Amino acid sequence: MAHVVELSVVPPPLPSSWSPPKPSGKSISPLVSRRLLPAGPAFLAHVRRVVHDLSFEEHDKHLQEEKKRLAELNGEGVIVDDLGVGDEDETEELLSLDPKEWKKQDHYAVLGLSHLRYKANDAQIKIAHRKKVLKHHPDKKAGTAGDSNDDAFFKCIQKAHEVLTNPERRRQFDSVDPYYSLLEDDIPTSSQITKAKDPSKAFFRGFGPVFEREARFSKVVPKEGGVPMLGGVDDSKEKVEGFYDFWYNFDSWRSFEYLDKEVNEGSDNRDDKRYTEKKNKTERARRKKEDIARLRSIVDLTLSLDPRIKRIKEEEKAAREAKKKGKLNSASGTATPNAKEDEEKKKAEEAKKKEEEELAKAEAKKAKAAAANARKKARRAERATDGP
Amino acid sequence: MAANGAIPNGSADAPIDVSGSPNVVGINFGNSYASIAVLTKEGLSECIANEDGERQIACAISFHGEEIYIGNQAKPQLIKNGHNTIVGFRNLLGKKFSELPKDKPSASALIIQHPDLPDTPAYKVHVLQPAPKPLPPTTSNVNTPSASAMATPRSEPTPAERILTVSEVTTIFLKSLIKSAEDFLGKKVTGAVVSVPAWFDDAQRAALAKAAEDAEFHVLQLLEDSGAIAVTTAYGATPAELSDDRTQLVVDVGQSSLELALLSIRQGLAYSLATSTDFSVGGEQIDDKLIKFFAKDFTKKSKVPLVVCPAKHTDKRAEAKLRLAVEHTKRTLAASPGAATCSVESLKDGFDYTGTINRLRFDMEMKPIYEQIATKVRELVESASLDLYDVDEIVYVGGSASFPGLDDYLGQAFHEGIVTPFTTGTVIGGGVGDPTTILARGCALQAKLLASIGTGEEESKVRQAFEVESEWTKVKATTKTIGILFPEENSDGGLGGQWIPTILMETPLPCRRVHTFEVDLGEGDSKKVGFEVWEVKEGVKIEKVIPPKEEDDPEEVKEDAGDPEEDDDAEEELDVKEKTVEKETFLQSLSLEAKEATKVNGRWKTKLEVQFLVGGDGGLEISAWEIGKDGRGEKTSVSVSA
Ligand SMILES: Nc1ncnc2c1ncn2[C@@H]1O[C@H](COP(=O)(O)OP(=O)(O)O)[C@@H](O)[C@H]1O
Ligand SMILES: [Mg+2]
Repeated sequence: MAHVVELSVVPPPLPSSWSPPKPSGKSISPLVSRRLLPAGPAFLAHVRRVVHDLSFEEHDKHLQEEKKRLAELNGEGVIVDDLGVGDEDETEELLSLDPKEWKKQDHYAVLGLSHLRYKANDAQIKIAHRKKVLKHHPDKKAGTAGDSNDDAFFKCIQKAHEVLTNPERRRQFDSVDPYYSLLEDDIPTSSQITKAKDPSKAFFRGFGPVFEREARFSKVVPKEGGVPMLGGVDDSKEKVEGFYDFWYNFDSWRSFEYLDKEVNEGSDNRDDKRYTEKKNKTERARRKKEDIARLRSIVDLTLSLDPRIKRIKEEEKAAREAKKKGKLNSASGTATPNAKEDEEKKKAEEAKKKEEEELAKAEAKKAKAAAANARKKARRAERATDGP
Repeated sequence: MAANGAIPNGSADAPIDVSGSPNVVGINFGNSYASIAVLTKEGLSECIANEDGERQIACAISFHGEEIYIGNQAKPQLIKNGHNTIVGFRNLLGKKFSELPKDKPSASALIIQHPDLPDTPAYKVHVLQPAPKPLPPTTSNVNTPSASAMATPRSEPTPAERILTVSEVTTIFLKSLIKSAEDFLGKKVTGAVVSVPAWFDDAQRAALAKAAEDAEFHVLQLLEDSGAIAVTTAYGATPAELSDDRTQLVVDVGQSSLELALLSIRQGLAYSLATSTDFSVGGEQIDDKLIKFFAKDFTKKSKVPLVVCPAKHTDKRAEAKLRLAVEHTKRTLAASPGAATCSVESLKDGFDYTGTINRLRFDMEMKPIYEQIATKVRELVESASLDLYDVDEIVYVGGSASFPGLDDYLGQAFHEGIVTPFTTGTVIGGGVGDPTTILARGCALQAKLLASIGTGEEESKVRQAFEVESEWTKVKATTKTIGILFPEENSDGGLGGQWIPTILMETPLPCRRVHTFEVDLGEGDSKKVGFEVWEVKEGVKIEKVIPPKEEDDPEEVKEDAGDPEEDDDAEEELDVKEKTVEKETFLQSLSLEAKEATKVNGRWKTKLEVQFLVGGDGGLEISAWEIGKDGRGEKTSVSVSA
């Protein structure tokens, strides 16, 4: 319980000749009388020791017992159901976060919720916060003889809690969650897909997670089946069309207030304030526009590479063809296909296929360029906000 | 929780409600401004704004007709309604009428001898009193509504004189503070810690306690300003550059005074080494300088003569307007590096005025004030027989201590590593070092601490310890620094080894200090650990050095001081200070065989924990343990009798 000061000095080895000198028999210099300021936990601890005539060790023991008793009284010791949260490792980096820089901190990581993020529910946030508070509360140390303590991380915890328990502020933070921001550019390029050994597999593997990530921004979550996901290669025409339909009309709640420049509160200059506010507003709008374009280019790219589209087109054509033939057949009464006709049809089909492929390639190229452009823009914007 | 964790003897009636924060608040009751702090759910404290959105609430009350304005709204009344506006009443608490200086001109309400109470100052203000009785029903006037059961007809209020004692004024004001706190908390305030200046005597304290009682709230403690600072220090994070044992200088620049305190802070226990008060420097003097600056600027721009500080009779109004306006200018200067404006509508002869001043210019104007503060600081530190270099940290208190320029100016005289809220960046954005809220926050934390103390019999002495001049605040303290010396072969000069101070001079007793560190045992097989315990003499060596050219080594410069290029500035010598330590009294020695040593890069190393225990009488016990994988090893102890 004693406050232990760790020093970084390393005393050298003793000289070989040294042997402990005899005590001098002298006492420490005469003491002076002083008057303590009757303030603070250290004074209270001092008074308790003196009033109750306790040694430091006895006092430590009382403190410990009392702490235990209080913890039990408050039912703090055990959290019955911790919902499996709040136990993530706390890295050095995390613990040395600066609360003044709270805007830059990963609030989920601070509360030990990085594995859940936007999926964490209110109960989980509450429990995680409570666990962290129990562990890092500055008062935990303040009771002993004047231990001072570093409550920086505690403040980070409080900030994280403040943000994540306010739905609007949480939404703003989730919009720019640093964890996902890192992943945001992780989108397969068209050549990665087309040049893959198994392009179809690469397509689903590459784009599946992209849509899973982006889905969290959807304002609407269809009751049946939730936000449509990329799905599989054998999906029906309706399903694939439904998917693209949804994503081309994606309504996102993502917004960018979190990246606002701080309005200088110290300054009373109204123009200053108004200027910053105006600038923030335009920045938000610009970011939002860019984000819509970003998603659109992803959907464009996906569509251009989607192996199912070809299949569906073929199916459609086949169906059309079959229909036509059915009509013809019923008219002429003959069902025998003409060999020559067959030949021609095949040729036409091949030509069309080639044409389609070329088109898709061109499309992909365009989409890629657009995506690269958007990334560049985003980077530039980021630099601008980080700038001095 | 801090305080609750510290209840000994398993007292059954100890407060067990540690979850909710108690309904207690901290009040900084200055002479010109007051502030309120409450406890947050997390057990920290924060300064709150009143319903006018003010954190710094002017200690002013103004009577205007039937209205009473309290706080910042009362201040503008000083211009038009000065004789009904009361300010500066805190410093009159507990004073007799005969003790007051009579010649002080004042823009505020007149202080008179109370008509009934002997030798008691009082304020006389003119108010409008609602007529005591409803008017008798009149028939002639159609505009007068006739009396009915529903509404009592209002009569014309009548002018009246009202006599208020200082205590009554204080009560009205404190009541409004408590009301603000209750509005904020949404519940009744059960107690408050109120700050008082160090120089408040018994009569002043008693008068304040009485006023608070009349305001119907329970004063948990009248806490000296330095005490409130010590509390915030104890609860706040210790910056990495600072130790828990340190010497702290508190610089409080308020509206009408400079208050200094030099504190010895030893693991949260604090006492004053010296204090001083100077009523000739404060925000008023800063205002005067600014007002003069802007008045001159006004005259230059408008060609209308304006003489202020002191003002001619005809310019008094203009001066008062400027005084009100610079309040805003000062806050801007303190908060942001850009230029600050001062605007007054119809300053004189119908001319509006808008002027600006930047920090550089401001600091230039303030230099005499900064210098006066620096002089007072030097005198204070000298009076405690210490050197400026002995100060580890500066804490700023009071609105007028918010200027970075003041910190820059003062900082020069201290050692380079001096820690101030400006160097740690805790002033801005209402940080822990914010001078305008630090007192109230400290009081709130203290209130929480006091609320945690049990109400039972066995805690009565503990509670008494927080009363004025309690016996329990008396302590003995060390006068010399004690520490351990690890002798070293062929150590060149100095103390002859590695010196680790363990108990600094001015440490209150009893005390305990525990240090751990690694010890190098060398390459050989003898794994002996040993050290000597010494009392030392500390001082500050001053060397005259010719100022070095930038980035040069002082030694080098001395040699080529004759360099023609440097002739210009090589003339003046500079004091270069350095802290010194000399061995003075050998006390004891301790040695042990290391059993847990491990070999790292061919050298034996072990971890040692050393504990110093000094009893209330000065008896010293030194213990050492090796720290192995299973914690403390065998204990070795020696002692020094008292
Ligand atoms: N942010 C600020 N910057 C500069 N000066 C300030 C600031 N806030 C208050 N002041 C000035 O500080 C003085 C009040 O100091 P304060 O410590 O609050 O009062 P008191 O004298 O009652 O202790 C006034 O002169 C006021 O103008
Ligand atoms: Mg003050």
